[in-house]
Amino acid sequence: MKSYFIEEGQLRGFVEGLMGRFPVIAPVAKKSRFVFAELESAEDLRLDYDTTILPPKKVFFPPKQLLVTYDGKQSKSCISPREQILFGVHPHDIRAIAMSDKFYRDNYEDRNYQANREATIIIGSSVQKHYKHAFFGSINNDMPVTGHDVFLTKISGGYVAEVLTLKGESLAAADKFNAATDAQTKLAADVNKAANENCPEKLNSSTDKIKEKVRGAFKSDIWEKLSEDCFSCGSCNTVCPTCYCFDVQDEWGLDGVSAVRHRTWDGCLTCEFSEVSVQGGCENFREERSERFRHRFMRKIAYLNKQLGGPACVGCGRCAGACTADIANPVTVINKIMEQNT
Amino acid sequence: MSCRCQSTGGDKNVFLPMDAEVLEARKMTETETHFSLKLKNGKAFDFQPGQIVEAGVFGYGEIPLGLSSSPTQTDCFELVVRKVGKVSSALVGLKKGDTMTIRGPLGNGFPVKEFNGHDVLIVAGGIGLCPTRSMIRYILAKRSDFKKFTLFFGTKTPKDLLFKDDLAVWRGSCDVSYLETVDRADETWKGNVGVITTLFPKAKDVNKDTRVIICGPPIMYKFVIMELKKIGIPMNNVFVDLERRMKCGIGKCGHCQINDKYVCLDGPVFRFSDIEKLEEAI
Repeated sequence: MKSYFIEEGQLRGFVEGLMGRFPVIAPVAKKSRFVFAELESAEDLRLDYDTTILPPKKVFFPPKQLLVTYDGKQSKSCISPREQILFGVHPHDIRAIAMSDKFYRDNYEDRNYQANREATIIIGSSVQKHYKHAFFGSINNDMPVTGHDVFLTKISGGYVAEVLTLKGESLAAADKFNAATDAQTKLAADVNKAANENCPEKLNSSTDKIKEKVRGAFKSDIWEKLSEDCFSCGSCNTVCPTCYCFDVQDEWGLDGVSAVRHRTWDGCLTCEFSEVSVQGGCENFREERSERFRHRFMRKIAYLNKQLGGPACVGCGRCAGACTADIANPVTVINKIMEQNT
Repeated sequence: MSCRCQSTGGDKNVFLPMDAEVLEARKMTETETHFSLKLKNGKAFDFQPGQIVEAGVFGYGEIPLGLSSSPTQTDCFELVVRKVGKVSSALVGLKKGDTMTIRGPLGNGFPVKEFNGHDVLIVAGGIGLCPTRSMIRYILAKRSDFKKFTLFFGTKTPKDLLFKDDLAVWRGSCDVSYLETVDRADETWKGNVGVITTLFPKAKDVNKDTRVIICGPPIMYKFVIMELKKIGIPMNNVFVDLERRMKCGIGKCGHCQINDKYVCLDGPVFRFSDIEKLEEAI
């Protein structure tokens, strides 16, 4: 596939062209931070964002998604994807999307997710500013970044647009950009390499060593110490690009007969996540907050490795920033575990 | 409520349930109701003993339940609902002719072939009898495929005994060596009193080649396993049927995850040797 060079002054026209064809969801400013939102104007695009409050998972897996409706007699499926472009996704977030693609496709394919995913063209972009807790340079680096259609890397004077799919080509070719020169392509590779190397936070051990040692620390008392201040709020779950868990809830219609069934994001840090109703109360399989705190780390670093090809953590650092008690930073937790003698 | 949905074309929605008609709803105890059901699409419901379904009522939701009947019975399938929460309360409110929604069958079920040609022991505590009944009735329907069949059933009190018609048959049957006990007797009770493990000395010929199924409250597993180890039964011939919170039943929602296993996908039936050292399993 080709690489093009989009000059700084051409970007706006390119984005406007895309907006003319599809809704474009991209990073925009929200007060002092950034969010993925549908662009109303190409001017709102902020490719210089550090991170977004919520990860782009919400585009395929909305916080509240209608699954089935019931009219009082019959139930009906609610899969209704919209063709759209997800623009400006950082490489580590693309990696997280590739993981959730696999997760929702394996075993029973979940078309409620997959249909949204397949209808979305992803244009990635290089990290221009680092989020203060980012550590993507030191986790899962042997896992390729795949699943996107075009990738833009900011270099001096513009963007190198690497086209990865035919869908991507159909978008990039429309604007008749110049082909990127070898020098520009090389520069882009250097920029992305530097972005990995310049992360403000860093794990001190290789991903392979971490996988082994974190799993082996299951019975360690470190979890209790680390989770002492946990509010069980689930903020770390909510902002995590690889937290896919959900609850399913029904709601009655006002007519008292019809109903809707939707899923909402759920988090394993919340107390009721593993609760089952039993006669005379409930049984909670992870009653202690330290058990829930540990479960999340185990799920990120160990449990899903076989299925996803590596730890379900991409080093975005959102959880570290979102944690109300300031205890969720994976760099702190994992580095501490790695320092332990076991 | 107006439907905002569009046609889904070829997109099969794993959350879209089938409708099943309630053929009969029998109250078994204060809290348990026994349902006989038939799919409204006219198709037979094909499943393995030990598999589960997500049973639901629109407006309330769905809960995971083990199938209680044997797949050899094709005119209807059966489920037992214990009234404990919002959804189960809605389910037990269903009457003959009402609709229950069903998704499934889900999960793995008992590895029937491994039981063929062997002695079988099933240890069921309380509502642990509901999912194991699918295997009990399967064995009785295909009796010559199995050797000696022993069944232990224990409840807290005589009032908690389930499937009383079945119990009456099993008590007098030559096809199953049935032993029962209650933790606390009342004036009507003439049988064994004590926890379920007190039945082991009373059972004849439970030997080390027996294939075993255990299903009951979490506390029961540890004590039953101790007895099985005394007999010398290898733990790869012991199967447990686990319960967890489940919202999807298809390995996505995360609620039933134990380590790298999902109870809804990899279970609910687990070979005990596979989970013996798995933290948080039991």
